[in-house]
Amino acid sequence: MTRRTALLAAAELLAWWAALAVLWLFLISTVYTLEFVVGVAAAGLGALTACAARRAVTER
Amino acid sequence: MNGWTLAATVGLAGGLGTALWGVATGPLRRRVVAQNLATALACPAMLLLAQGYGRPAYVDLGLVLALLGPVGTLVFARLLADELAEDPPRAWVATWAVAALGAVTVIALCVATGPSRAMAKLLVIGALLIGGNVIASRALAGGFRRVGRG
Repeated sequence: MTRRTALLAAAELLAWWAALAVLWLFLISTVYTLEFVVGVAAAGLGALTACAARRAVTER
Repeated sequence: MNGWTLAATVGLAGGLGTALWGVATGPLRRRVVAQNLATALACPAMLLLAQGYGRPAYVDLGLVLALLGPVGTLVFARLLADELAEDPPRAWVATWAVAALGAVTVIALCVATGPSRAMAKLLVIGALLIGGNVIASRALAGGFRRVGRG
């Protein structure tokens, strides 16, 4: 993995994370600290899965 | 009973009733289309009921239906690929009519809700509902044959 591909992978992960966290915050009824922390953690897991899934589909 | 619950009742009785009749009778190509449209009709009804009863949490039922309905149809499209390839369903008028019904429902609910996070959630559900419905209909009509063959 070169420096360029590593940067691209990190950017993709961050983009997924941000999009999923925003989606979570839209879908819950009230935003408070615990809900925010759980949402950010779940969005992180989702972002890892989304990156792996996209790679599995495009790199076969 | 208010206008929202009345509209939901009409949608459930008329739309979902017709869809269930379509699922239970006729050739396979009509049954799969009716199955696809059943969830697309039930979802706006759930959103209307949530508004009618004043319980925003009930909107989640509509969200789950909008997400899982098209996924279920894709499973049928994959399992019945051979039968559907011989006699592919063409139901674009019904698909777009139901999509328009969903769009009108979501827009009416957005107007009633006003600009807020709840409205953004309704728009997300509307996009999932219409996008999922159209993609599932296209899959049933054989639009993704190459993907279906893996």
